[in-house]
Amino acid sequence: MEKNYAKPGEYTTLELMAVCGARAIKNGEVVFVGTGLPMIAAMLAKRTHAPRARIVYEAGFIDSNAIDIALSIADSRLGYRASAAIGLIETLGLLLQGGRVDVGFVGAAQIDEYGNINTTYIGDFEHPTVRLPGSGGGNDIVSSAKRIVIIMTHERRKMVKKLDYLTSPGFLTGPGAREKAGLLGGGPSLVVTNLCQMDFDPETKRIRLATIHPGVTLQQIMENTGFDLIIPEHVPATEPPTYEELAILRAIDPYGIYIPRPAQTSSS
Amino acid sequence: MLVEAPVEDKRITLKEAAKLIPDGAHLFWGGFGFQRPPMAFAHELVRQKKRNLTIYTCGSEMDIDILAGAYVASRFELAFFAIEGIGLAPNIQRRIREGAVQIEDYTNLAMALRFLGGALGVPFMPLKSMLGTDLLTKKRFREKKAEVITCPFTGEKVVLVPSVRPDFSIVHVSRVDKEGNAQIDGIKGEDVEGARAGKKVIVLAEEIVDTEFIRSQPDQTAIPNIYVDYVVECPWGAYPMMVYNYYDYDLEHIRMYYQQCKTEEGWQKYCEEYITGVEDHMEFLKKIGFERLLKLRAKKPFPY
Repeated sequence: MEKNYAKPGEYTTLELMAVCGARAIKNGEVVFVGTGLPMIAAMLAKRTHAPRARIVYEAGFIDSNAIDIALSIADSRLGYRASAAIGLIETLGLLLQGGRVDVGFVGAAQIDEYGNINTTYIGDFEHPTVRLPGSGGGNDIVSSAKRIVIIMTHERRKMVKKLDYLTSPGFLTGPGAREKAGLLGGGPSLVVTNLCQMDFDPETKRIRLATIHPGVTLQQIMENTGFDLIIPEHVPATEPPTYEELAILRAIDPYGIYIPRPAQTSSS
Repeated sequence: MLVEAPVEDKRITLKEAAKLIPDGAHLFWGGFGFQRPPMAFAHELVRQKKRNLTIYTCGSEMDIDILAGAYVASRFELAFFAIEGIGLAPNIQRRIREGAVQIEDYTNLAMALRFLGGALGVPFMPLKSMLGTDLLTKKRFREKKAEVITCPFTGEKVVLVPSVRPDFSIVHVSRVDKEGNAQIDGIKGEDVEGARAGKKVIVLAEEIVDTEFIRSQPDQTAIPNIYVDYVVECPWGAYPMMVYNYYDYDLEHIRMYYQQCKTEEGWQKYCEEYITGVEDHMEFLKKIGFERLLKLRAKKPFPY
């Protein structure tokens, strides 16, 4: 079937990122998400190609069918037509550590070339410049979900050679390191940014350019990446959102809480 | 025929409950994110000028930011703090820079298991998080924070985290009877385990219900009376955050708090206006206003 793709200028970068996140979810999967863009992505997936995806929020909402945008991971909105409302031991312990979560979505203040994540401190541990929120369930999710999607802004100070603090484990120091550390989950599989999508080289476990967003240049990506990015010979363009996806996305977040409208932030 | 025992009455006032907490006490702090934080209890601890408390929680927000801002709590063992969806917790940031607050970082699962361990009466709990990260190697004030061991049965690596038995557990629930049988609507976060970990347990509730109501649906009891020492009737006790099936958060108030508390002067002004400048929780609610509160009431079938 011919897909009806939106043209550049008809969608924003955040909308494209949400669509990329949604496409990373397969029908029937158990999906662990936080609020913000991952929540929107999961809601979009359920309304398009993955209606049987079961969305779990760590506070305890299981198989959520929320119709309103939530601010907090424990937001009552996420309880709407959920199949259960339990607690953290259930979600992070029995479901996640028990090996029943297919894909987890997390954000990051910094990542390194092995997909290790910092959400705790910026600056030196003894004298930090900024104290970030911390792990929350992030470390648990990245430790034990079968695969991980990281959604973040692409900036040089965020894509770093060395993290200020290692909160959640990517591939640690490279091949075999997760297994040696005793970790259960499969580790990061995809990084969605405002410039591109990146995956991980199966041999070296290092981060690799996968697709470039329409209108973005390779030069831009290089300038905004602080570590050595693996760049394959042929890098396709990111599949743009379809008109159907955009319409659903805008109905999910009608007030533009997480995704402001194109009129407000036009993608150049 | 069964002889009915008289129902024990564990009710005390919010003021009396806060008076029970000595300076330097260790507290399990209930609620998760925007859901059911013991906000009114935090306000009362500030009014009574408590000092040097250690707070154990998974993820908390404006409630613990207030405890840090007013120098009530100086140490936290937790996994997450922020004003979710809005920004970083402003007072905690400032108190960390001053050296007045220290945070020992764990993960949500680690904290929840530490409470379960305390409740079970075992000294530690095993888990498969934290492995390979700075959460294991970097610590602030605990002599021992976590240990990696090789499982004696399977040989795999496991992290051990110390159980917590705080002096008090503070939880805000949906409803409770006067002998302390508590129901929690919606998510329970880590409150089921946390309430069972404390040496003394104070349950605050949106409403007090008759014991017959509880006993007609015992499967709905999240915390049975055996665990509970004190009961406090505390309607709108999580405002400006939310209680499932009762009320939504007051986003405007939370945003105002966040903006204002970015400066020390702004925080002092907030504290004076809404916490120390009012006599008690009822005066605080009067200040917020009846009309404003009613607009936040949950609209069925929505729990918000």
